[in-house]
Amino acid sequence: MKLDVTMEHQSAGVINLVVVGVVNIHTSPRLRDALKPLLTEQNKEVHIDLAGVSFMDSSGIATLVEGLQWARQSGGRFVLHKLQAVVLDVFMLAKLDTVFEIAQPLIEDKA
Amino acid sequence: MDCNSDSNNARNKQPLKRNQVDQLNFQLNTQPDCVHILRAMVEVMAARSNLTDMETNRVALAVDELFANITCHGYNNKPGSVTFESHLQHNEDGLQELHFTFRDYAPTVNISHWNCGKSKPCHDLDITPGGLGIRLIHSIMDVVQHEALHDGNQWTLIYVCKHAIKRGRP
Repeated sequence: MKLDVTMEHQSAGVINLVVVGVVNIHTSPRLRDALKPLLTEQNKEVHIDLAGVSFMDSSGIATLVEGLQWARQSGGRFVLHKLQAVVLDVFMLAKLDTVFEIAQPLIEDKA
Repeated sequence: MDCNSDSNNARNKQPLKRNQVDQLNFQLNTQPDCVHILRAMVEVMAARSNLTDMETNRVALAVDELFANITCHGYNNKPGSVTFESHLQHNEDGLQELHFTFRDYAPTVNISHWNCGKSKPCHDLDITPGGLGIRLIHSIMDVVQHEALHDGNQWTLIYVCKHAIKRGRP
């Protein structure tokens, strides 16, 4: 299993991070390594595209919480985009779906 | 020590004789990449139980979280051994239960401080190591049991296959 993380500069101070794969105890350090350098004063918005993430556990959520804390401390925006239904479900189970700024969840619940 | 979530009386069900086809077991070490093996195993058992994709993801998440806790907090990220067993239990009342058992040889864990409740609100600043994972396990599984042994711990997770029943599948 692998996790691909690609950074795209949208404009000055606005970063888009595209994550593809499975985020778990094995792969989440890779996400953290990619995310951490982006949480600086120079950046105003960090957008995380999760359309390609099919599974996320608490280690992945904890990594994203670091982005949330950065946004609150710096006044920036930290936005999660295009969560698959199973990933959104994890945020709901953790009662964090209303804490994060989540845009455009994918509706493909097969339950 | 017992740390049950709302068990839905799952422990009171009378099991039928277990079929060899309905169980899997193997030995793992506590390398983080072994979590992918667990995932594959859970998916096999979930398919045999006719779980939906959402249920499968939830059950896989709970198993993943327990393995991560054993790895990080039981063995302190050092090499360790875990025996994992899963079986599908058919009860006389028609209920199916998926059972997952982890046996580790890490120092005995005191779980008395764990939050086993399902209703505790989770705040973003409340992400402590192990804390969120434990809450997720309890919010998904019908039974969560821990037994302190003289040379380690035994953990049992039980998931009652609710949606399979609703869809009329045996």
